[in-house]
Amino acid sequence: MTSAARISREKIEKKRTDRSTRFFLTGGTGFLGSHIAVELLRRGFRVTLLARSSGARRAEDRVRGLLDWFGLSEGDRRGLRAVEGDITRPGLGIPAEDVRGLLLETDEIIHCASNTAFSERKREEVEEVNSAGLANVLEFARESQAYFFHHVSTAFVAGKTTGVCPEDLVTPCEFWNAYEETKCRGEHAAAAACGEAGLGLTIYRPSIVYGDSRTGRSLLFNAVYFPVRTALFIRDVYEKDIRERGGRKAAEIGVRIDADGSIHLPLRIEVAGEGGIDLIPVDYFTGAFLAIMEGAPGGGVFHIVNGRAKRIGDIIDYSCRLFRMTGIRACGPEEFREKPRNPLEALYDHYVEAYGPYMRDARVFETARSRPILERKGIVCPEFDYGIFARCMNYAVETGWGSRLP
Amino acid sequence: MIDESARKTAAQCRHYAMCKIDYLDTGLCPSGPERHYVAFYPQGRMDLYRALAEDLIPVTEALVEAADTCTLCGICDKQCHFVTGMRPVKVMEALKHHVREHLAAKKPVHKPKEDAVLKRLRTIVGDEWATNDPAILFTYADDPFPLAGIQMPRYVVLPGSRDEVAAVVVLADELKIPFAIRGNGGSVFGFVFTEGIVLDMNRMRKIEFDADNWCVAVEPGVTSFELQKEAYKRGYRVNAAEPAATVCGNLVCTGTFSTWSNVYGTAADGFIDMEFVDRKGKVFRLNDKSAPNVFAFDHAMIPSPGVCTKAVVKLHPVTDDEEGILVPFTSFDKAVAFARDLSRRRLALALAVLGGHYISNFMSPSRELAEKIKNLLPEVLGIKYLVFAVADAHGREAIRKMAGTAVIDSALFRTLMLGLPRLADSELAGIASTYEGNAPLYEILCSPEMRPVVEAVLQPSPETIAGSVDEDLREFYARLYARPEMTDMVWLNMFRIVSARMSRRKHMFAFLVYVPLDKIEVINGIIAGFVRIADARKIEHDYGFLTPMDFGKRAILEYDYYIEHTDPADKKKIADAMTEIGPWLDGLAAKTKGVTFLMYVFSQGCSRKENFLYRLD
Repeated sequence: MTSAARISREKIEKKRTDRSTRFFLTGGTGFLGSHIAVELLRRGFRVTLLARSSGARRAEDRVRGLLDWFGLSEGDRRGLRAVEGDITRPGLGIPAEDVRGLLLETDEIIHCASNTAFSERKREEVEEVNSAGLANVLEFARESQAYFFHHVSTAFVAGKTTGVCPEDLVTPCEFWNAYEETKCRGEHAAAAACGEAGLGLTIYRPSIVYGDSRTGRSLLFNAVYFPVRTALFIRDVYEKDIRERGGRKAAEIGVRIDADGSIHLPLRIEVAGEGGIDLIPVDYFTGAFLAIMEGAPGGGVFHIVNGRAKRIGDIIDYSCRLFRMTGIRACGPEEFREKPRNPLEALYDHYVEAYGPYMRDARVFETARSRPILERKGIVCPEFDYGIFARCMNYAVETGWGSRLP
Repeated sequence: MIDESARKTAAQCRHYAMCKIDYLDTGLCPSGPERHYVAFYPQGRMDLYRALAEDLIPVTEALVEAADTCTLCGICDKQCHFVTGMRPVKVMEALKHHVREHLAAKKPVHKPKEDAVLKRLRTIVGDEWATNDPAILFTYADDPFPLAGIQMPRYVVLPGSRDEVAAVVVLADELKIPFAIRGNGGSVFGFVFTEGIVLDMNRMRKIEFDADNWCVAVEPGVTSFELQKEAYKRGYRVNAAEPAATVCGNLVCTGTFSTWSNVYGTAADGFIDMEFVDRKGKVFRLNDKSAPNVFAFDHAMIPSPGVCTKAVVKLHPVTDDEEGILVPFTSFDKAVAFARDLSRRRLALALAVLGGHYISNFMSPSRELAEKIKNLLPEVLGIKYLVFAVADAHGREAIRKMAGTAVIDSALFRTLMLGLPRLADSELAGIASTYEGNAPLYEILCSPEMRPVVEAVLQPSPETIAGSVDEDLREFYARLYARPEMTDMVWLNMFRIVSARMSRRKHMFAFLVYVPLDKIEVINGIIAGFVRIADARKIEHDYGFLTPMDFGKRAILEYDYYIEHTDPADKKKIADAMTEIGPWLDGLAAKTKGVTFLMYVFSQGCSRKENFLYRLD
């Protein structure tokens, strides 16, 4: 059942042009949500951020720390309001005295909050956020005066498939993990709820997002960072063994330091013949999000992807070059039939297993809807070259893979 | 003048008496074995300093002697640090300094007068072994048990034989003076105190083996550690209590229970015969038709049958292929079901379901490291519970098959323990926390093909684990952990030298309940009850352990509360909690077969276990 739109497209566009739109944003302390929030604030919009306290840190302190990291000016912060809450709780856990006002004053909702865990062990927590949490946000949207819902999903709702993935709601038979499955269900839930309530709906489907292509800065170090971090960890363990403990463990496994000081790690990484990893930097994602938001007042489903899968072999080469390693190489599955995995390879394989489907991705994400909008705005996804790789990985290492970030 | 830092340390003494047993091969405080009174051991000196600080006793002759006989050798620092993290030498220094200053200022030294009773006591045991010196008396007056205050005895007596015990008891009965028997005072439940005569059995230390009868006779001053050491030397094992607990005292008090109770049982299972002096001074043996029937059990608080002066303890055979094994679980119910299955199939010797709190403290030589490991086990490795078992090679093979999943064998346990600081390392924890595989991370850790990499990552060695303690103790710890038994699950569970670490952060108040192992809902209900009562009063708490008994039909469950025993507010909380716990457990025991609160077994430790495990009333 669909209801009439709560507001006309013209009014939506006018409010956005006037910068009078009031946004309510979930997941604002997360990687994607924070970038969207800051960009909106820089453009002069008013943003209410729903944020949770975490451990001893209050929500307000977390948000402040985040804005400092972005270097957001005091002037730009004036449009921000942080509200303590939690999407997994009824009423989003917002104090009663704040809810009524928020319901009345919110124009557009941007839902970024998401649990991106892949492991089946974590299904319960993934469902709690991506399904039950989404339901609470949609309920809030229904009860509010808001007229538009922006749903940050993922290109990987396409599930276990190959070939073209359309910019449309899909119903795959199988998924690689709970994250894909719950995000796919979430799209359908959002479409049903928004249709029923008369809210406009745009679904944004980014592929794998990494740091800023210009500066390397990031708040999240999963996905493409994880296999690199794992390789570096192994390298450091054996380098220490060689330099401090005589290298017996390293010798057992075939690790050595070459004459030029580089570390030789006998590590084969299985990749499929075709396919690679679709990577987009967060600056591209943010620009694309805002462009699509403004360029599609009627809503729709949009892929925000690179379109050119990066070969794993290239990423391996970049890693070896930047971190002075040798011996790591991509290979096909037949090599392991001839020569079974050594302990290093077995460990690495276990560790990055969950990312396997994304490292040998043969899915092709349609961009018939998003491409024209982005081309009009001159927004182009940069190629994930060595320069970008180096900036991103150096930043990751400097920040202890995020452990030293606010 | 009192040193405040020393006073604080002294007040934290847990009274586990680990300084009275040579459990680390450091030797003992030199004055202790010679003088026997607690005041001449580090524990006693800690109490003396506390008493001086709180103005509870004057400086007495015995106090001066106790201070003077401390050589500051530092043995107590090693012994105490190993289980509590505390460094008592500074208290010893402060005590000596205080006495020196007192004497230099020519202040009075109290010399108590010998009264008529003391004279008669000394006639029985010898002048040296009976006293009314307040300093000595104070060291027998209290312990961290939060529900009782100080009870200063009038006399402390150290009998040297059964006949001396009997004579003291006759005298006490004649003069109507109450008395209490003290093994090592490690009950920490306020039982060994009296305002009358404390009999400290520390001088009665004979151990006599009867190999043909598979038993060993021990006098009441013999500790569990000492007995186990002698038994093990000869190729046997006994079912032993906590190491500093006296064998006789423990048997009488609760019956000996341990993870080995899975096969060795408890209570009357532990001994062939026992000898007592009753409250009139008459000697009797249990294997005597005319003796009191201590094998029966009353679901009530009743006094002990008398003073145990000898226990003839069962010896058990040992095979040379016994090893420990740990099976990780993410669910308590599954861990319990697995342990029950092992017990009823007779596949394990020692057996227990352990939680993260226990295992992290068992393995970690420092509190800080234990906290990190405790968090890391479930959050990163995916281990919430472990079924610990000791079994021979055949048993272990069966256990592995039944587990069907990764297990931690003795070699991996040694690697983990010796590499523990690296396991808790922030970079490793950081990378482990981002692991997204479907199988829990421990499965990778336990996989035999991973072993070379795990060893490279953890760099297991005595030096690595020693790196987690105070710098001046590292050399000692490195030598200690170079000994294979320090990372051997079998040895550690036989000698139980790490169990006192449970009280490392705060004094532990243990609740022990016998439960029906086939009714998981009852067990979960009991745990939930303890959680609810603790949370309502903001008392720290944690699951302890569960050991199956009697072919998996019953089990003993421990749940622990943790309190700051010097804080009146915490004492009040526990007292308040007890007003709810007692009636709740009584009600549960009345309507649920198989539930018996250990409190009712106190002083009935000689009874047949069947009588309290399967109460028919």
